Amino acid sequence: MSILEDRTARRSIPIYTGVSVTMSLLFLAATFLTGKSYTAVSRVGGMIWVFILSMIISMPIVIPKIRKKVLG
Amino acid sequence: MDAAVDGQGLATVTLTVQGMSCAACVARVEKTLKQLSGVTGVHVNLLTGKAVVEYHPGGAGIAEMVNAVRDLGYEVPEEELLLTVRGMSCAACVARVERAVRALPGVTDAVVNLPAESAKIRYYAGAIDKARIKSEIDAVGYEASERLTGSEALDREKEARLKELRYQQRNMWIAWPLAILVMVGMFRDTWIFPYFVPKFLGNVYVLWAMTTPVALIPGWQFFKHSWNGLKRGATDMNLLYATGIGAAYTIATINTLWPDAGFGGRGATFFESAALLTAFIVLGRYMEALTRGRTSEAIRKLISLQARTAHVIREGQELEIAADEVRIGDIVVVRPGESIPVDGEVTVGYSAVDEAMITGESIPVEKRPGAQVIGATINKTGSFRFKATRVGGETALAQIIKMVEDAQATKAPIQKLADFVAGHFIAGVHALALTVFLFWFFVGYDAFFTPGSHFILSPYSLSQVGVFGFALLLSVTTLVISCPCALGLATPSAVMAGTGKGAEHGILFKGADSVESSSRLNAVVFDKTGTLTRGEPSVTDVYPLPGFEGNEVLRLAAMAEKPSEHPLGEAIVHGAEAQGLTIEDVKDFEAITGHGVRAVYQDKVILLGNRRLMQQNNISIENLTPELEKFEAEGKTAMLVALDNQAAGIIAVADTLKENAGIAVERLQKMGVQVVMITGDNRRTANAIAGQLGIKTVLAEVLPQEKATEIKKLQDQGLKVAMVGDGINDAPALAQADVGIAIGSGTDVAKETGDIILIKDDVRDVVNAIEIGRATMGKIRQNLVWAFAYNTLGIPLAAGILYPFTGLIVSPELAAFFMAMSSVSLTLNTLLLKRFKPSLGTRVA
Repeated sequence: MSILEDRTARRSIPIYTGVSVTMSLLFLAATFLTGKSYTAVSRVGGMIWVFILSMIISMPIVIPKIRKKVLG
Repeated sequence: MDAAVDGQGLATVTLTVQGMSCAACVARVEKTLKQLSGVTGVHVNLLTGKAVVEYHPGGAGIAEMVNAVRDLGYEVPEEELLLTVRGMSCAACVARVERAVRALPGVTDAVVNLPAESAKIRYYAGAIDKARIKSEIDAVGYEASERLTGSEALDREKEARLKELRYQQRNMWIAWPLAILVMVGMFRDTWIFPYFVPKFLGNVYVLWAMTTPVALIPGWQFFKHSWNGLKRGATDMNLLYATGIGAAYTIATINTLWPDAGFGGRGATFFESAALLTAFIVLGRYMEALTRGRTSEAIRKLISLQARTAHVIREGQELEIAADEVRIGDIVVVRPGESIPVDGEVTVGYSAVDEAMITGESIPVEKRPGAQVIGATINKTGSFRFKATRVGGETALAQIIKMVEDAQATKAPIQKLADFVAGHFIAGVHALALTVFLFWFFVGYDAFFTPGSHFILSPYSLSQVGVFGFALLLSVTTLVISCPCALGLATPSAVMAGTGKGAEHGILFKGADSVESSSRLNAVVFDKTGTLTRGEPSVTDVYPLPGFEGNEVLRLAAMAEKPSEHPLGEAIVHGAEAQGLTIEDVKDFEAITGHGVRAVYQDKVILLGNRRLMQQNNISIENLTPELEKFEAEGKTAMLVALDNQAAGIIAVADTLKENAGIAVERLQKMGVQVVMITGDNRRTANAIAGQLGIKTVLAEVLPQEKATEIKKLQDQGLKVAMVGDGINDAPALAQADVGIAIGSGTDVAKETGDIILIKDDVRDVVNAIEIGRATMGKIRQNLVWAFAYNTLGIPLAAGILYPFTGLIVSPELAAFFMAMSSVSLTLNTLLLKRFKPSLGTRVA
């Protein structure tokens, strides 16, 4: 079964990481688009926090769906 | 064999197939399975009854294979596994374990109970092995082991609880002293602290050095568990703690070591948040470990009744052995004061045995050769020997314990909502935390932030906190306050307490759904014979004519019936014996079919029978007719007695009411429950019995097979119906009812049908069962309201809803305190159920 688990992990990582990176980049874009002057630290800190929360939200959604596909 | 995967990505599973009888069956099964998508090879063995299937995991699943085999008319049996799962702390843990196990190929169902720390798993025999299931649970961060029974389980459970308590105690000893010092250090410059708190305690490096072990040693468990789950796509409340503690500690560390990094600098270190947050969470864990085991006290009490040793005679020698080593057929010696180790039949000796703990009988029961003895009951007076007839898991006590444990491992339907919420909660809470962060980062900070901002119940100023730090604080607090641990405990802890309370009174609920259903009942249908009545006739009235005395009439009737084997005759003989009358032998006994009996005593003819018997013998019964009709109207069987062709009196015999039937019916009616009596007897007798009990609805002349239909008719009227009856004869009616209550099951509870088993033959326990069900459901509702209210009120507060109006926000440590208190107060509320006493209580264990 570890082969199936590995396959699940391999297929899932790019998806949830991609989602989280996209969310972080959207956050970064928003800090510029709002026209407010945020410090670099606020921007980077915010990106990290958004990335962590996005990972936590997307991992439990993505992994079971991929596992279901892999295990049939 | 387990479902396994080879290097080419093909999986293999072995299924047990029952019902195959020839090579043609084998061919059918093989052909059908091969037709399924993704199946590359099938090998069916007729002798072993196994089908080995090789398949691509992307194609048909095991469930489809099983359905295909079942469609052919063969059976793929399921097995059940009961595990102890340690390390769970919330409803999300329950959902996580259930999801992980259900995802395993071959598993058909998994039900996890948080307070009982149990998992009941059903799977296709052969499709997966137990070790695989256990390792899957271990892999998501919990500790699974096969559930033990009896005193071994008690010892193991106690050991595990002590281990968890010791672990959390150690964490408390690290977290609390340091967290208090950190808090004192943080507020060193305020109030009276400058007068006695040394200056070095306010140094940021000292504070950081004290906060680090708190976050990393007691807090490590949360990081470890959450990572184990997250990498498999599962989340639980450990993740909320880990992100909360992690974020607070990281910001504190950055602002200490790199104050110019722009996160608020030295003025926004929040050491006390990171330290106290961890300390409160650990306190919550400790309190939970302390209180959780107490809800299963009933099981513990039952297990503790078991004798640990037994004295047996083997090869002529008396040996002391462990009670679980007693074998069927062993002769066991029991001395006064000793506990009886197993069930059996007395062979030698005489004694009185206290059976109150099992049957509820308060008076010790006499035991002579031939009498049955029950394991775990206590021998009071004499010594005796008995032959073991049921040992190990077959004993009455073991069956009762298993039934209570099984009930506690099930889920009440009301719990589905809590499970659904908790299962989706963690991801939802993180999404909420993200929303809170984005709101305060982009909108809230600019719109509402004032330098005079404070935490609630804290003098700590937030003036130096920047936009990121402020938004992060509110986001972290939202995470911490949202933990659904109270939601996870709300239902199962009350079910455990309720089923345990039932067991104390000899009432065995077969599942949590029985507890819930019993609380909703508004009609109870009693079978008459054997349930409301004793089920055997006895003398109710003796009416003598002038010139005769009552006892004389009874004695004459008993003498005449002594040689008879008729149940009514036996009732008269027992009635006379109960009065202490001497029943002498008679001559020329004759049973006159359809009329009565005739016998001769001291050359006088005794006649006992109906009107026709008297008419045939030209005996006038005119002066007896009014009484005769009165007895018959009451549903009694009235028999006329004559001596030497002269009427002497009437003996009335009837099935009598059980001792507490009237009390139980009256109480049920007061509770608003409609009471119905159902019987196969004629309407007149049925009405007479119902009249004595105050039952208004009587279903008479109903054949046994029609009872279920009558129950259905009541249900069609919108009533939630319980059927109370004999667990064996009334099985269809018990099954049709919303709640089937099998009464007077005695000690062989495993054979009974019904949702609730009453060990004692006491109708009052029907009332008690409903009252316990109602009390338990009341407690569940209170718990759920409390748990939902906590989260519904807590989350907006933590998200900063009050901030625009008050300038105050909830600190992460205050959120952790609320969270810990919510589960502790809920557990304490459940424990109040232990004090509940049914109104007609007859306590057993």
